Amino acid sequence: MSIFSFFRSAPKPSAVQAKERLQIVMAHERVGRSGPDYLPMLQQELLAVIAKYVDIDDNKVEVKLDRGGDCSTLEVNIELPSRDQLKAPKADAKGAEAKPGNANGKPEPGKPANASSPAPSAGSVLTNGGVSKRH
Amino acid sequence: MGKIIVMTSGKGGVGKTTSSAAFATGLALRGFKTVVIDFDVGLRNLDLVMGCERRVVFDFINVINGEAKLNQALIKDKRVENLYILPTSQTRDKDALTKDGVERILNELCKDFDYIVCDSPAGIERGALMSLYFADHAIIVTNPEVSSVRDSDRILGVLNSKSRRAERGEEPVTQHLLLTRYDPERVEKGEMLKVDDVLEILAIPLLGVIPESQAVLRASNIGMPVILDEASNAGQAYLDAVGRFLGEDVEHRFISVPKKGLFSRLLRRSA
Repeated sequence: MSIFSFFRSAPKPSAVQAKERLQIVMAHERVGRSGPDYLPMLQQELLAVIAKYVDIDDNKVEVKLDRGGDCSTLEVNIELPSRDQLKAPKADAKGAEAKPGNANGKPEPGKPANASSPAPSAGSVLTNGGVSKRH
Repeated sequence: MGKIIVMTSGKGGVGKTTSSAAFATGLALRGFKTVVIDFDVGLRNLDLVMGCERRVVFDFINVINGEAKLNQALIKDKRVENLYILPTSQTRDKDALTKDGVERILNELCKDFDYIVCDSPAGIERGALMSLYFADHAIIVTNPEVSSVRDSDRILGVLNSKSRRAERGEEPVTQHLLLTRYDPERVEKGEMLKVDDVLEILAIPLLGVIPESQAVLRASNIGMPVILDEASNAGQAYLDAVGRFLGEDVEHRFISVPKKGLFSRLLRRSA
């Protein structure tokens, strides 16, 4: 054993990683087995609500899930069309991503999203409409 | 227009999912835009082998049923550019695979991808039939063992009679043999079928021989396709097989016992 290996934390043996991965994925599956698959319905209802205010493209909706041991995150990214989208080249969606709590890119309350308020020049994104769930 | 490859065997546990993950990754490493689809509805495992099990939101069946868009269900691999995984449902059964639904999604994928690798379930029922029906190429995963060889022969018969190409009288599905879990030492002792024995019986071209390797279990433990373990025999053998699939002339390796030096032979004797 060299002196350097003393300072390095040993990597987890692969069997330990296998067990941890299985425990996480199976815990989620056992819980989900009884109930219906709610994600498609959740997405449809979310979109229906948003579609009442904004004209959205179904293909511009990204749903990400990360199942963790004690915390899972669900992230829904919806790219909103802008008025002059047809004219302006579309900016990278990531660049236009709005941080939660930052009003930039969100429709102003009391005004329909397609009103004549100065709209961002490119498609903006509603981000972290995220649901965080603890078990 | 993308090409559809089915990884099939008839028998279970011979390495279809391991090979699908490795082969798809190998094609993507060569720069081809590749998607690997799990057809084993109800017994999903490709996600675990590819290490994306925590990121599954929507699946193949959701897309077939119109509950999600295809690009929402595709999971982009985090390690390899150009590689995507389409997981299947863990809760539904094989009846969810309708011929029209599968065709619609494969057509859509063919527009965007160079290769579509279909990981077949074991058996010759609906899931297996749907995974091979639209195939252009079939990779028959076989172990050098009597039941596996017989089942491979059976699945070759199914390919020749029940695939779309067969039904339409088109050029038949191209068949390739991938011999997995090969142990040259046992072959030398006369305990295991030789490569040539299997080739003689099945009479299809040999794509590759994957040696029995501890790297395969290690890789699946951590959710990494074994082809990314380039130091391992199995990883190298899959890289070679991908090269041959792409038309390269690659010599077969790992099919005979490496010659031992005097030193290791002496050690062996004293052990």
